[in-house]
Amino acid sequence: MNENNPVPPLISQTDAAQRLADKPNPPLAISPSGPRPLGDDPAERVPIAHAFAAIEALLRQPRRLLFQLRQPGAGKLIVGMLFVAFFCAAVYGVVAGTFSGGTQLWAAPVKIALGLFISAAICLPSLYIFTCLSGAQSRLAEVCGLLAGLLMLMTILLVGFAPVAWIFSQSTNYIGWMGFLHLAFWLVATLFGVRFMKNGFSHAQAKSQAGVNVWIIIFLLVAVQMTTALRPIIGKSDTFFPTEKKFFLGHWFDTLREASENNGTAHRY
Amino acid sequence: MARSTVSAPHARPNVLKLVPTTSQPAPAEFSTLLRGEAAAISAWSTEWNARRFASHLVIIFLGAGCYGAAMGGWRDPQQALFVAIKFPLIILLTTLGNALINGMLAPLLGLNIPFRQSFSAVVMGFAITSAILGAFSPLTAFMVWNAPPMTAQAVSLPVYNLIKLAHVGIIMFAGIVGNARLFQLLVQLSGGHVLASRVLLAWLSGNLFLGAQLSWILRPFIGSPELPVQFLRDGALHGNFYENVFNSLTHIF
Repeated sequence: MNENNPVPPLISQTDAAQRLADKPNPPLAISPSGPRPLGDDPAERVPIAHAFAAIEALLRQPRRLLFQLRQPGAGKLIVGMLFVAFFCAAVYGVVAGTFSGGTQLWAAPVKIALGLFISAAICLPSLYIFTCLSGAQSRLAEVCGLLAGLLMLMTILLVGFAPVAWIFSQSTNYIGWMGFLHLAFWLVATLFGVRFMKNGFSHAQAKSQAGVNVWIIIFLLVAVQMTTALRPIIGKSDTFFPTEKKFFLGHWFDTLREASENNGTAHRY
Repeated sequence: MARSTVSAPHARPNVLKLVPTTSQPAPAEFSTLLRGEAAAISAWSTEWNARRFASHLVIIFLGAGCYGAAMGGWRDPQQALFVAIKFPLIILLTTLGNALINGMLAPLLGLNIPFRQSFSAVVMGFAITSAILGAFSPLTAFMVWNAPPMTAQAVSLPVYNLIKLAHVGIIMFAGIVGNARLFQLLVQLSGGHVLASRVLLAWLSGNLFLGAQLSWILRPFIGSPELPVQFLRDGALHGNFYENVFNSLTHIF
């Protein structure tokens, strides 16, 4: 993720050169002022063949992924990334569901995965508008690709946190604590995802990052509100969707109050 | 069989250098590990060697196990056996539980090392910590042997607090040295102190966070004269370390 990251020799130079020789070179994504242009390293121009390679590239060669997202025909790559994000979100959802067990084992993954994608879909138009307003030279497909990268990085980090979340799920009844823990993990994962996305926009010749920064706040608010709109995710309920509409801050205060009144064991989120 | 390899293939170019990784006998490798010879340890971490990995696990089991036995020995011989099993278990479960996230955080923070290498580095750090704990275990055992038997009365004496403080001090010292060695390795791999600090801080935060909870689940360690000797307390999985700290703070304030 670091701009100065060394590119690991995951694919040998000869292999890469052979592959590149077989197909015409895509154009460099040049930004005359600012960061090093994408694709100036031959390793970054090696196509990403499948989802696992996309995960590897996202963690170790983000510039390669950013370059490939700018190439024509990146749609397949974006779909693959979204599939990985959906799968990883569902895996984390199962772990979150183990706190209550029962129906939450399937309800929590469905809600987390769908909630994440609905949040992204709701925020996509505003991201594109803010990107254009900031003067960035990005097509809608590139913006979709960066958003897919954000979701994929977020969710694979959540899978990384899953063993820790599971241990805590099995060792506490205090729903407020579990809610806080999941939010903390989600926030850390989102910050890394956002950093990837901003890294991508830094190559789009934007005059300012202010628009993207505003969008990040919007995305965070939408995502936390989504957890309230789709509650319960961690706790139990008789209905799949909530019967009462609330804003997330009000819901959090209510949950904490209920938990303290019930000696810290309220099972509703 | 002597061979040479390139240390840290994914490291920054300015730290690429040829380091001889002679396959040493286990005691020689042990002293190399303790001395924290960054170049040699860095070369070890780049290549998978099952024998070396097993030797690190043995160090963890022996070192932390012996210290655990000395710690639990004050309460009862059976408690000593239980803690001898539980102490290394905490280290291994912490390493395994955080392996995935540690492996992801390293490249995300700028240190482009493979998952296996980050795992191996953390295991080596814990092996050094365990070796130090193992070295202190005879001293701890001697201290416990000189203490009055653990009774309800003894717990109210200053000696109880002294033993607890001694454990805290020794474990803290071992942890600091282990992490200092890990830091040296990270500096070698990354070629810079800033990046190494960043990665170490991220790993340390995760390991402390999970390690504290695992210690809570696997309690007791020193034991209590009023409670039976048990491998796990009844309701070990009820509540967590941080809730307990929070409740203690609310009681104080």
